[in-house]
Amino acid sequence: MAVGGTPVFVAAGGGILGAVEALRLEPALTPVATPRAAQVLLVVGEQRPSDRIALARIHAQLVEPRATVWWRTDRLSGFDLGTRAPESVSDAAAFISAQATQSDAEAILLDDAPPNPWEGIGPHGQGGKGMMGGTPYGRPMAMTSDDLRDGLSLDAYTATFGPYLTQWPPGLIMETTLQGDVIQSARIVEAPLAQDVLAATPHLELARLLRLLELPALAERLVRAALANPSRAATGLARAVRWTGVLSAIPAGLGRDERGGDVRSRMAGRLHALAAGRPAEPAAPGDVAAMLAGLEWHEAALVLASFSIDDLRRAIVSPAVRMAKDAA
Amino acid sequence: MSLAAFPFLAFFLTLGAVLAVVLDAVARSALAGAPAGRYLAGPLRQAAMRLSGQLVTTEAPDRANWRLAPGWYGALAAAGLAVVPFDEGLALVQLPTSIVLWGAVEALVVVVVFLHGWSPNAPFPLIGAYRYVATGLPVMLPSMFVLIGAALPARSLDVLAIVESQREMWNVVRQPLGLLLLLIVGLSLTLRGPMDYADSADLAGGSSAEDSGPARAMWQAARLAMLVAFSAMAATVFLGGYLGPLLPGPLWLALKTALVLVLMVAATHLLPRMPVSRMVTFLWVVLLPVSFLHLLAAGLVAL
Amino acid sequence: MTDALFTGLSALALYAGWRVFRVDSMVRASFWLMISFIAVGGIGILLSAPYIGVATVFMMAVEMTVMVIFMVMFMMNPAGLNPMMMVHQHRFSIGAGVVAFAGMTAATLLTDLPSNPVAAGKAVVHDLGIELLGDSMLIFETAGVTLLATMVAAVVLSARTGRFGDAVEGSVPPGLEPGGTPAGRVPEKSGGHHHGSHGDGRSDHAHHHEGHDHDGGGHDHAGDKEKHA
Repeated sequence: MAVGGTPVFVAAGGGILGAVEALRLEPALTPVATPRAAQVLLVVGEQRPSDRIALARIHAQLVEPRATVWWRTDRLSGFDLGTRAPESVSDAAAFISAQATQSDAEAILLDDAPPNPWEGIGPHGQGGKGMMGGTPYGRPMAMTSDDLRDGLSLDAYTATFGPYLTQWPPGLIMETTLQGDVIQSARIVEAPLAQDVLAATPHLELARLLRLLELPALAERLVRAALANPSRAATGLARAVRWTGVLSAIPAGLGRDERGGDVRSRMAGRLHALAAGRPAEPAAPGDVAAMLAGLEWHEAALVLASFSIDDLRRAIVSPAVRMAKDAA
Repeated sequence: MSLAAFPFLAFFLTLGAVLAVVLDAVARSALAGAPAGRYLAGPLRQAAMRLSGQLVTTEAPDRANWRLAPGWYGALAAAGLAVVPFDEGLALVQLPTSIVLWGAVEALVVVVVFLHGWSPNAPFPLIGAYRYVATGLPVMLPSMFVLIGAALPARSLDVLAIVESQREMWNVVRQPLGLLLLLIVGLSLTLRGPMDYADSADLAGGSSAEDSGPARAMWQAARLAMLVAFSAMAATVFLGGYLGPLLPGPLWLALKTALVLVLMVAATHLLPRMPVSRMVTFLWVVLLPVSFLHLLAAGLVAL
Repeated sequence: MTDALFTGLSALALYAGWRVFRVDSMVRASFWLMISFIAVGGIGILLSAPYIGVATVFMMAVEMTVMVIFMVMFMMNPAGLNPMMMVHQHRFSIGAGVVAFAGMTAATLLTDLPSNPVAAGKAVVHDLGIELLGDSMLIFETAGVTLLATMVAAVVLSARTGRFGDAVEGSVPPGLEPGGTPAGRVPEKSGGHHHGSHGDGRSDHAHHHEGHDHDGGGHDHAGDKEKHA
């Protein structure tokens, strides 16, 4: 459901998630979940240089006229588009909204061409045997493989998701093999980025879960409470969230961590923390990629959102960091 | 066929959609603790902006189905509303089996939403489409039981007769469970809140994740049209439709439709959405037997 | 009016039926078939068979959706990204088509069809119900519920999370007397008295999922199943 203002796709980096929540509430802006619905690409927070290809891809998916705005971050080298917004939240919102109406469109940075040519080999041209196999445009055709759940052989599809997926922790990149919407296997390519203090309040952690449970209005109320005073005990708010039945909507035993807690118990812990006005207990996710295997996409998103970003970062040592350590 | 019903149909679709937007804004602002104005101006302004916006396409989509899906969805809403009588004998399409026609509309909604998710040739829309079929098909069964249950007191599959059978007592009094089950069906038909498996938040908009410009605006408008058609149908089947004292029939139907709209909007914003596997289990293991028992009870009462 | 509708719907049914064999995707083919059936349903309504006409529409909608979902799940190239041949055994199909068309046309043209138009106010739906079911309503309903129960039971028994526990764990059905030998077929994995050389099936499976080697792992596993069978 849309909220008033200029539709903006927020590509969030590190140390910014709490500030982004404040920006989202500005009436001049409407945060959207897909670049197809956005007029402005808003790049915020500390960016990894390696993510500029992903950023360019999102930029290419914007509706014309494209506009890029950078907020509380510098332009990435190799991505010389757009302007910098003022630091303060309200000034930034007005600035971004004004950018949407400017007429000079930005050109896309990537070639609008398939990564590989169509091969045209074999009886039907896709390069495989008969109608199966082959790699048209360099992408392998989906082929059947065993399903984790019921032993059927279904088409598996492998793709890399992240780092700007709005429903995942910012910066997380995963290569997942999907059969339908069930994750057969996941490999973490990049760990999520560290975020600001506000993002770790129980309010915002619950708000992220509530959005995944299709309760955006209640999530917004939590964000407003956090921006007003993040350390005040919000007993009534915790009760209101509980009354929607969110805890019973989550299956028991989903996403068990090393201490035996599941998504439901972690969410209940956050609700207790919210009612008591203190931060939530940390959890130990263990092997995150292994935990996601066999889960349906929505369940996997809930599992990721049920951990604090710090917990996830502790559990996932970034492959790049690991390599650097091995080298040292 | 009664062409005099046509202006009512157009009127219902337009006003109902506006009312739905207003109700959504009011519910959001009440829950979020912010003035309603911004939620009200937003959708209208964006719809206007999108209609003039660029239509972006994906690689190798099924263009015909992608572009036609919002139109089909809206057409199904209109077809569903066409069998709703606005007053005694005033329905656009009059068939001895008009309630079955509504059932066919429900089944075709599953097809249209699937096509809308399948045709962009992209992962998130396709997952949304899969999910919608997985939940949409088991929702069809309780829906059929509920509609047959509502037709039992009338001993007819004609919506006109179903309304007339409620002169003494509304169906919601005879079969309170039926309205509840039908509301679940309605949430699924209109992709809302706890049954929004096609356009869900965890898929960045699911079946409409690749929609841009006018296509996006059309799809959202079609969803609202389906919401109005469903609410009018639920009001007709369970709340006595155009029946009521003093006021003219169409006005009674409008008031009752608005009441169902309020219930739908409240459910959208107050109920969480379960993960799809939990919902599918719930639908097959709980809702299907419950609706079966409901039909049995309705049948015994009707005897 | 009726004649024009009949001609239009017949033309749509024929065109959609022809498209079924010309498109290069199973999804498109299924939905063209659905459109063809919907047109036939419309003709049914024109022929004063309102129930059968409308029921055709919703039954075909649900059936085609199920068909599409299974094809997208099971078939390579379901979406039409790659070319797909929708027709096989050309000569045989053409022959069969010609013979079937000739036979049905002959049957239609040569049969002396009775002509008794339905009166406008006749309760056709009611009469159809009596004609189809009549006294056998109870039998029909019982058979229907039994079939449904059978289908549910078949799914429950064949699911990996089945009646006797997780299928991967080599589960055994309970004994005929308490503590007795398991009833029914003895699974190889836990039986242990034959096929010992294949080792533990579970470890094979674990290898498959940890290795991320989908093609290789998949083939290994399929082969393993055959050996056991």
